[in-house]
Amino acid sequence: MNKTASYSRMPLRPGVQPPAGLRPGTSRVTLLIVLGSETVFFGTVISAYLYLRATQTNLAFTQQLGAQLALPVANTLLLIVSALTAALAGRSIRRGNVKALSGWLLVTLVLGLVFVAGQAFDYLRSGMHPADQAFGGVFFTLMSFHALHMLAGVVVMAIALVRARLGDFTARRHDAIDVGTGFWYYVVAVWVVLFAVLYLI
Amino acid sequence: MATQAETFPQIWVPRSKFLEWVLTTNHKRIGILYLSSAMVFFVVGGLEALLIRIQLAQPNGTVLTAEQYNEVFTMHGTTMIFLVAMPLSIGFGNYIIPLLIGARDMAFPRLNALSFWLFIFGGLVMYSSFLFGGAPDAGWFAYAPLTEKAFNAGMRMDFWSLGIALLGISSTVGAINFIVTDLQLRARGMSLARTPIFVWANFVTSFIAVFALPALLAAVIMLFLDRNIGTHFFIPQAGGNALLWQNLFWFFGHPEVYILILPAMGIISEVVPVFSRKPLFGYMTVAFSTVAIGVISFTVWAHHMFATGLSDVTLYFYSADSFLIGVPTGVKIFSWLGTMWGGKVRFKTAMLMAIGFVSMFLIGGISGIHLAVVPIDWQVEDSYYVVSHMHYVLFGGAIFGLFAGAYYWFPKMTGKLLDETLGKVHFWLMLVGMNMIFGPMAVLGLMGMPRRIYTYPSGFGWDIWNLLATVGAFLTALSVLFFLINVFVTLRGPANAGNDPWDAFTLEWTVSSPPPEHNFDETPTVRSRRPFWDLKHPDLADWKHNR
Repeated sequence: MNKTASYSRMPLRPGVQPPAGLRPGTSRVTLLIVLGSETVFFGTVISAYLYLRATQTNLAFTQQLGAQLALPVANTLLLIVSALTAALAGRSIRRGNVKALSGWLLVTLVLGLVFVAGQAFDYLRSGMHPADQAFGGVFFTLMSFHALHMLAGVVVMAIALVRARLGDFTARRHDAIDVGTGFWYYVVAVWVVLFAVLYLI
Repeated sequence: MATQAETFPQIWVPRSKFLEWVLTTNHKRIGILYLSSAMVFFVVGGLEALLIRIQLAQPNGTVLTAEQYNEVFTMHGTTMIFLVAMPLSIGFGNYIIPLLIGARDMAFPRLNALSFWLFIFGGLVMYSSFLFGGAPDAGWFAYAPLTEKAFNAGMRMDFWSLGIALLGISSTVGAINFIVTDLQLRARGMSLARTPIFVWANFVTSFIAVFALPALLAAVIMLFLDRNIGTHFFIPQAGGNALLWQNLFWFFGHPEVYILILPAMGIISEVVPVFSRKPLFGYMTVAFSTVAIGVISFTVWAHHMFATGLSDVTLYFYSADSFLIGVPTGVKIFSWLGTMWGGKVRFKTAMLMAIGFVSMFLIGGISGIHLAVVPIDWQVEDSYYVVSHMHYVLFGGAIFGLFAGAYYWFPKMTGKLLDETLGKVHFWLMLVGMNMIFGPMAVLGLMGMPRRIYTYPSGFGWDIWNLLATVGAFLTALSVLFFLINVFVTLRGPANAGNDPWDAFTLEWTVSSPPPEHNFDETPTVRSRRPFWDLKHPDLADWKHNR
């Protein structure tokens, strides 16, 4: 098995080579570009928040959030643990252990769902509404877009889980796992930034 | 076992005549779909421009009401930028780039089809607004708070934000596909320093799109939320900020200008050398100036906001920074001139369009430098001077460049050469026509005529210039009609092009016209910047004499 064939899943007939020049690492390059684009998106909304905040005189909302930190902190820790379990999933498949891979994928996925549920609960509890001044709108937008990304990550993990069960991954072929966990780390990292911006400053 | 060349037709040829276009993931078909649907939108946007010019031909015009006029100029701008100039560049990129780099398709063919269909549905969402209570009417940059519910009831701006969101996602996804293709699929031996400039331009354009469009996407989502669930991003009375919209929009909007112009510059950089019988003069400087434009384009957005009360330091910075972007642009112009200088120039229509690009873009560039000077900008802000400037850049620049690409690559796509006589009529009518529109507009701007007024009284000395512009608009429309007739007649004619009608330098001309579904039986190996020249002239091959 040559290096090129190890990552490409193009449905090629016998005797047909993959397109020449398709280089290893394509999926990683693509993920980096996608995440760069995502960063501009989140960066835009976060700058909108900071811009509005800088021109705001009434900061009561931010203080209200800062007063009830227990649940968001617990949620954040949970999410950081999920990044570790995602890393363990990646390590399992690099060692060829498909069973451990499935297990860690499942744990990661469940932790992600618990996080989204926890944040939804925290949002409802705060009694904030998108129409509450400018801050309520930004808070709502950032929280919901992050939640959508979390759910996208959960879907990716679920697909990876099904494919792992079907025996799609081996120690040498696991690009989808690398991409999936890479996306997961990114969404966790975005949350850490959002937590600092929304709750701490 | 069958050889590669024998098995390819079985793998790559699709199933049925109708489905092969709808379900296609082949970059050449998607390219043609992009180009032809963008031409349809070009005609629609052009008719909107004619309506504008008919309304303004004489003082106190009554052809359109004020409201209709707002709809027409908003849709004209939005159409020409998002549904014409961008998809035309993307269409050429789709068709040409894999051929130019010796690949069999884009990196992600299905994603490519997704980009195309998102573009079509984005355009349809935008235009369906006419059926649901009126089209968007707040200008192509849709300044808040005019776009908010309180000042703009109905669903016009909801259609606009949803349409823009779809188009933005389409272009972002497409750009990601292009970047990966340009990086990962180049033929053996095609190092970055041997990659054709059109690919460089596409690469930088795609980077700009990937990093600028998300800002627009975020902004239109905020606008949509403002209008529909009651957030207050852009409503000052409730703690929002109307200038936030301008900052977000122009953070996207200025890089967008280079998304529109860089592909045209890339096309020119392919056309000028072939028709001057010389390699591109200063290849590396052209490549680096493309990158420099891409980087600087992200740092100049506030020059669209000189009249919003920015601090002096901010004004100085953005003014100086905007001058700076003229440097890499000037470098390119000298490179094209240096390529023509001492060359054996063949004045085919493609080359005429390229020369038209260089001269018209120069006018647009210089009036752009005027507008970067803060006091001049304050004087002519929101006047027809700005309208003249941006049309010299986007029509005189982008559209001429895209037409150069059309005349240059049409024989590759169809196997048929466009008629040169009709092509030259098209070129000269368009050149005269556009100068008759946008020259008088510059004068009108200096005389103080504001943009976006739906009518004007006589007695300001504006009448004759407006009439001239309207006549020019009809000449330009006529020139485009000549192009469409040319395409129609040529498509019915015989296949007369052969594989290499221009005696060109690059890989797309090594294959048949039109190319086979899989492009290359064997993927080529590249040893210089002009691989096809090397193949045709082994003794004079570039790699033997320089690299």
